[in-house]
Amino acid sequence: MSEPIVSCRKVTKTFGKDELTVHALVEVDLDILPGDFATLAGPSGSGKTTLLNMIGALDHPTSGEVVIDGESLSGLSKNQLSDLRLHKIGFVFQAYNLIPVLSARENIEFVLELQGVAKDKRRARAEALLSQVGLEGLGHRRPSALSGGQQQRVAVARALVSNPRIVLADEPTANLDSKTTSGLVDLMQALNHEFGTTFVIGTHDVRVIDRTARHIELEDGRITSDTRI
Amino acid sequence: MSALATFAPLAWRNLWRNPRRTLITLIVVSVGLWSVLFFNSFLVAWGESSKDEVLGLLVGSGQIHAPGYMDDPNIATLMAPPGPALLAALNAPEIAAWSARLVLPGVAVSEYKTLPANIVGVDPEAEKRLSSIPAKVVQGRYLSGPDDTGVVLGLSLAERLKTGLGRRVILMSQNVDGAMSEQSFDVVGLYDADKATEDFYLFTGRTTMSNFIGLKNGEIAEITFTIAKNAQLESVVARLAQAAPDLDVRSWKKIALFLATTDAFMSNFIFIWLGVVFALMAIGIVNTQLMAVFERTHEFGLLRALGMKPRQVLLLVTLEGMLLIGAGVLLGVALAVATILGLSGGVDLSRFAAGLEMFQSGQVIYPGFDVARMAAFSAAIWGLGVLVALWPAARAASLSPVEAMRHET
Repeated sequence: MSEPIVSCRKVTKTFGKDELTVHALVEVDLDILPGDFATLAGPSGSGKTTLLNMIGALDHPTSGEVVIDGESLSGLSKNQLSDLRLHKIGFVFQAYNLIPVLSARENIEFVLELQGVAKDKRRARAEALLSQVGLEGLGHRRPSALSGGQQQRVAVARALVSNPRIVLADEPTANLDSKTTSGLVDLMQALNHEFGTTFVIGTHDVRVIDRTARHIELEDGRITSDTRI
Repeated sequence: MSALATFAPLAWRNLWRNPRRTLITLIVVSVGLWSVLFFNSFLVAWGESSKDEVLGLLVGSGQIHAPGYMDDPNIATLMAPPGPALLAALNAPEIAAWSARLVLPGVAVSEYKTLPANIVGVDPEAEKRLSSIPAKVVQGRYLSGPDDTGVVLGLSLAERLKTGLGRRVILMSQNVDGAMSEQSFDVVGLYDADKATEDFYLFTGRTTMSNFIGLKNGEIAEITFTIAKNAQLESVVARLAQAAPDLDVRSWKKIALFLATTDAFMSNFIFIWLGVVFALMAIGIVNTQLMAVFERTHEFGLLRALGMKPRQVLLLVTLEGMLLIGAGVLLGVALAVATILGLSGGVDLSRFAAGLEMFQSGQVIYPGFDVARMAAFSAAIWGLGVLVALWPAARAASLSPVEAMRHET
C-alpha cells in the first residue's frame, strides 16, 4: 500500500470559548491515498470545510496533527505553509473564486508565475490545460465573460496547473445546474483516471457523491463512515 | 525584480476595478501636488518681485555705514569716503554695483507746507547702475551729476507739498556746525515709486548736498552695493566687513526687516501648505485604499490559498498605492508645468496695486520653474503617500486566508 498523501491524526478544531465553544472537528483520523477520488460528505455544519481547510494548510487544528506528503504542518511558518500550498495543493472553491482582473489563461498561469516558471512554459501549460478542460479559444476571456460552469473549469485547470499532489474542492458545484455539474464531475473523474490526480471533494451534492470512488461521511465533526466503492 | 514583473501589471489592473474611486484619488493627489508646485512657484516669484522692488529702490543687497548711523542718522555719524582696502573689495567681481550716498534727515518747505524728509545726496551715474529710482522719474529729469543743484521729489511728497516740476522748495538740515542750513532747490524731476519712498526720500547731487551742510572732506553716510548674480550675499558681506573692520556692514536682511520677515514667511509658507495638502491627501489615500482592501478581503484569502506569501500581498497592495500616487504625481506635475508655462508671461496684479504696495511687491509676477524644489516636493508627496498606503497593505497582508475567504464579496 502506498504512503498516504494526507494523514490526519486525532485532528480537533474548536471555535469560541467556554460555553460558546463549538467543536467543528473531533479527533478525526483520516488518510488520503494517491489516486483517491473521494468526497467528504455531510450536512451543513458537519465539518467538511473545516477539515478541507486543515488538509489544505489553510488553518491549524486546535489539537492533533496533519501531515501532507510526509511533512507535518504543525511547525511550519506562514511562508512555509504558503509554499506548501503553492507547490503541493490545488484548490477549487465555490464560484466567484477566479481573479476578476485576469483572463482565464492568466488565472491558470498565475500559480506558475508565483512559482517563477518562465513565461513561454507557463503559457504552453495553460493552453494545454484550457484544451483539457474544454475551454480552447476562451483563454482571453475575463471571468465575467464566462458562464459559471466555464469559470469552474478554469478553476479546475488552475488547481491542476502545477501538478499538485492533491486537489481539494469545496462545494465546487454549489452554484451550478445539473448539466454543468455533470460536465465538471466528468472532467475531474477523467483527470483522476487518466493522470491519477488525487481529488478530495467536500460536498453534500448527491450528483457528485454518486460519482466518486470513496465516500467519507462526516457528522458533528466526526467521521461516521469511510467507504470505498 | 521578477516579483515586480509579476505584480505590477496585476496592481495596475486592480486600480481600474473601481475607476471612479481611482479617478477621485488621482484628482486629490494631482490637484494637491499642483497647488503645492504652483503656489511654490508663485510665492517664490512674488518674493523675488518684492525683493527686487524694495531692494532695487534704495536698500540694495546691503549697505555700509559708520557705527551708530543706523540707530541715529545724523551729521555726527557720517564716515570718510572708502579707503583703498574697501575700494578694492567694492570693485571685486562679486559686487555688481555700488554707490556712496549722503543721507540725512531734513525738512522740505514749500509755499504751503513743511514736511520731514530724508535728503539723499547721490552720484547719479553710480545710482543708475544700482537703483531703480532714476528709471522711475515720470516728470522732468533725473540728476545730471554730483554737483547738480536740482532736486528730484516723489510724486506723493510733491502733492503733499503742493509743489511741482519747475517750482522751488527749500531744504533744511543740520550742518557741520550744529546749526540748521537751508537752501532753495529747483524741482527738476518727480519719481513714481511706493508711497513710503515717495513721501520720505528726495534726491540731489552729492557734492551739492555736501556743500549745503558744510562738509569739507567728502564724508558720506552710506555705501549701498548690489551683488553679482551668482555671488553669495553672506560671504560678500563678510569680505566687506574684513576690508572695513571699523564700519558697520549689513546685508539687506538686517536693514529691510519687514521684507526679510516676509521673505522668510514666503519660504516657509509652502511647507505649511505642503503639510495641509498632504494631510488631506493622506486621508483620501488611506480611505480609498482601506475601502479597496476591505472590498477585496475574500480575494486576498483566495490569493493566500493559492500560495501567495504575506509579503507578496503586501507588495501587491503597496504597488497599487505606488502606481496610483505615482500617476497622480505625474498628472500634478504636468498640470503645474502647464500652468506655470501658461503664466510665464507674467501675472498682472495691477488691479490690486494698493494692496501690493503694502506688501512692497511688483505688480506683475513671473512664476518660474525651480526644478530641484519641484522634484523634491513631488518625491515627498509620492514617498509620503506610499508610506501612508502601507497601512492598508499591511492589513491585507495580515489577513488569515480562512478568515478572509469567509468574507462575503
